[in-house]
Amino acid sequence: MKTNFSFRRQRGFFSLPNDNIVKTIGVATLLCLLCSVIVSGAATLLKPKQVANKLLDKKSNILSVAGISDDTKSIDELFTQIEARIVDMKTGEFTDAVDATNFDQRKAANDAQYRVPLSKQQDLASVGAISKYGNVYLVRDGADVSKIILPISGYGLWSTMYGFLALENDGRTVSSITFYEHGETPGLGAEIENKKWQASWNGKQITDDSGVPVLRLVKGGIDLSAAGSEYKVDGLAGATLTSNGVSNLIQFWMGDDAFGPYLERVRSGKTQANIQVKTSTSNNGEKS
Amino acid sequence: MSFLRRTLDSIHPHVTDGGKYTKFYALYEAIDTIFYSPGDVNQGRNHVRDAIDLKRVMIYVWIAAMPAVIMGCYNTGLQANQVMASLGVTEVAGWRGDILTMFGIGIDPSSVFDNFWHGFWYWFPIYATVFIVGGFWEVLFASVRGHEINEGFFVTSILFSLIVPATLPLWQAAIGISFGIVIGKEVFGGTGKNFLNPALTGRAFLYFAYPAQISGDAVWVAVDGFTQATALSVAAQGGVDALVSAGFTIQQSFVGHIAGSIGETSLIAIAIGAVFLLATKVASWRIMLGVAVGVLATSLLFNLIGSETNPMFSITPQWHFVMGGLAFGMVYMATDPVSASMTDTGRFWYGVLIGLMTVLIRVVNPAFPEGIMLAILFANLFAPLIDWFVIQANVKRRELRYAA
Amino acid sequence: MSSEAKKALFEPLVANNPIALQILGICSALAVTTQLSVALIMCLALTSVTAFSNLSISLVRNHVPSSIRIIVQMTIIASLVIVVDQILKAYAYEVSKQLAVFVGLIITNCIVMGRAEAYAMKNGPWNSFLDGIGNGLGYSVILIVVGTVRELFGSGSLLGYQILTPVSEGGWYVPNGLMLLAPSAFIIIGLTIWAIRSFYPEQVEKPDFEMQNAHNTSAHGSTGGAH
Repeated sequence: MKTNFSFRRQRGFFSLPNDNIVKTIGVATLLCLLCSVIVSGAATLLKPKQVANKLLDKKSNILSVAGISDDTKSIDELFTQIEARIVDMKTGEFTDAVDATNFDQRKAANDAQYRVPLSKQQDLASVGAISKYGNVYLVRDGADVSKIILPISGYGLWSTMYGFLALENDGRTVSSITFYEHGETPGLGAEIENKKWQASWNGKQITDDSGVPVLRLVKGGIDLSAAGSEYKVDGLAGATLTSNGVSNLIQFWMGDDAFGPYLERVRSGKTQANIQVKTSTSNNGEKS
Repeated sequence: MSFLRRTLDSIHPHVTDGGKYTKFYALYEAIDTIFYSPGDVNQGRNHVRDAIDLKRVMIYVWIAAMPAVIMGCYNTGLQANQVMASLGVTEVAGWRGDILTMFGIGIDPSSVFDNFWHGFWYWFPIYATVFIVGGFWEVLFASVRGHEINEGFFVTSILFSLIVPATLPLWQAAIGISFGIVIGKEVFGGTGKNFLNPALTGRAFLYFAYPAQISGDAVWVAVDGFTQATALSVAAQGGVDALVSAGFTIQQSFVGHIAGSIGETSLIAIAIGAVFLLATKVASWRIMLGVAVGVLATSLLFNLIGSETNPMFSITPQWHFVMGGLAFGMVYMATDPVSASMTDTGRFWYGVLIGLMTVLIRVVNPAFPEGIMLAILFANLFAPLIDWFVIQANVKRRELRYAA
Repeated sequence: MSSEAKKALFEPLVANNPIALQILGICSALAVTTQLSVALIMCLALTSVTAFSNLSISLVRNHVPSSIRIIVQMTIIASLVIVVDQILKAYAYEVSKQLAVFVGLIITNCIVMGRAEAYAMKNGPWNSFLDGIGNGLGYSVILIVVGTVRELFGSGSLLGYQILTPVSEGGWYVPNGLMLLAPSAFIIIGLTIWAIRSFYPEQVEKPDFEMQNAHNTSAHGSTGGAH
């Protein structure tokens, strides 16, 4: 076949026969060089944009559980109402040990530096290990904190479900819940994404008066007038194991091994959610 | 010659080659052979004389399903009437109520008559839908492809109507049977060439497409909004103890007074069907035996292993047999001659595979409480392979015999 | 446009479709078609990778030693895929999350490799480029069909716009859960192949064997040879 593109008439290296060993190695080297330049060029040039995208995605998830939406404003603008803080899971106190805006407890759970393995009895949500520090997002309403947003995760039927739970500033009343990543059965377990079902969480109580997490998903409908209905959320029809998974992850993340100590402090007023508690001199956290 | 024969003969020239209505030959042939045995003669070298033919086989299976239909209707009505009595509901809602009132039928759970007719009006609409829709596809494909209408779908439709919950929406029944007949059978060339059981293919389609209407707790008792866990889902929660404390007994399950798919609750009815199928040699005893052996061995193995976290491990074989659709699947579905293995030895191992997979799915898989449907479809895929091994073993044995 | 170029561009659309006739690239066709928008991005990604890999491989085809020919093709394709993946992550983050690993798996997509080896190594750059676009479009046609059916019946929407309002949101449509599971793509692709072969009977493979007809249906007589 005759084409305009042909290096065949050139002299030197390219005129060598194709099966020549020098040419084989030469072509391979040239190709590798060229390709690596293209690939690394693309990766470096686009890196800042990709990082920004990831952050923006996380922010929009947090905003959606906080119930903040305004089409006229950008996500970054809206996010100024939200303050990212880090909580020491053991003591429940705010800490500045790590940078609040970039720290990710989901990633840190696999990082030897922060990883706290869980025993079988502790690990209700089947997450294996959690991070020493937890992300907490406080929704500001003027000077006061109106909502506390906590990242949650746990194993359902097929997959680990990741989401956020927003509590009122009393540290026990549910404001809203979302799940942003999961692999549950479409039509059954995947109904955790259903906005109607998520709305049924509004106003539920996470803990009883003694501070023990008791909120559960129950099968077959709830009588809202009955006593104790504030501790019960309607289970997902036909998805017993996903429902159990959601119950377990609430019990776990609101319990002593995770955000329990922090929420206890919020409830007792020691860490009024809206009062800055500085545990170190660094000022990574925002000032209120 | 009778009037009917004359009428049919007068139509014959119009539907055969050269006639105006050749498209309708399939329909003509079906009607003709219902009333008269065909006058075809063999043309090749082989010649088999047997009183049994496809039509008779299919009719036998249809007859064998009748006890399950009757018990199914009765039990569907019984479950609904019991619940309504306990809830204090005095009238059946909707058009079924109108029909029952028209014939003066009550809803007394102690009256066999009342129960049967109440249940009948749940089963019959499903069956009618399935029959009409299934028949439509059958005739359509037969007409377009120019082959005869096969009676296979008589069996497919009645079996399909028995393995769904009574509350199944009719449009779903129609979609389910369409999928079963078209994708499960016709795309592969029709009856005899399908490698999957069409009724189960249709049910599997519904199971994955509309899980809310065919699984869970809300669909088994034909009273709106009432939830009743099946024996299998209770067992999955707490094992035999939970079954006993929830009021399930083996005897009750044996008779069939438990919630479940229409035709698969009563072991007695299924046993009658099984005896009939075995006596007429329509169904293979080797397959049924294989399933029983598979279930027995696997469940005993799980009993032996034991588990602290999964109560299903401790479920004894006798419970496995009375719960869910195992018995129905074993008698009516696994024995489907087209999709099962063809060799005698193969049939046994095909059955064992079904039994094994059923218990495996029930016990180990957390998502699917019942396993027989998926187990049979799974074994359907392996049936030709099993046959292949059996034949290879045979070939080897003969080689050895004649090598000396 | 020469007839060869036309053939390269249009033949893969239906007549020589990479998925429907050559049965290549099924894996990603199952995985990315639950939503039409994701399927469209995947089509775009695959079409550009196939076109540019065909182009670059055709450009260097006369200097590729045959002993390392496959490795050279792989390197070029892999580089292009990584570039596409990086671009998606930067400019279409939502979609890249849904496509996840499947963009990376374009490297192993048989269509790309197959066209490089079968066409680009033997033809000029322009025709190879068109062939790449043609095959990418052929892949796209099937993905769009599958994606449309799956999103419409599985979620009641198209490109995210609600068309059939589901029952859970007060409508009448009961979403078909099977459509959201991978097997449904197999069935839809199968039905599409059936439809295409009804119009192009020459695509139907020869049967492996034929059954002898021992049963004569023409000699029809019911009660003793009335005919």
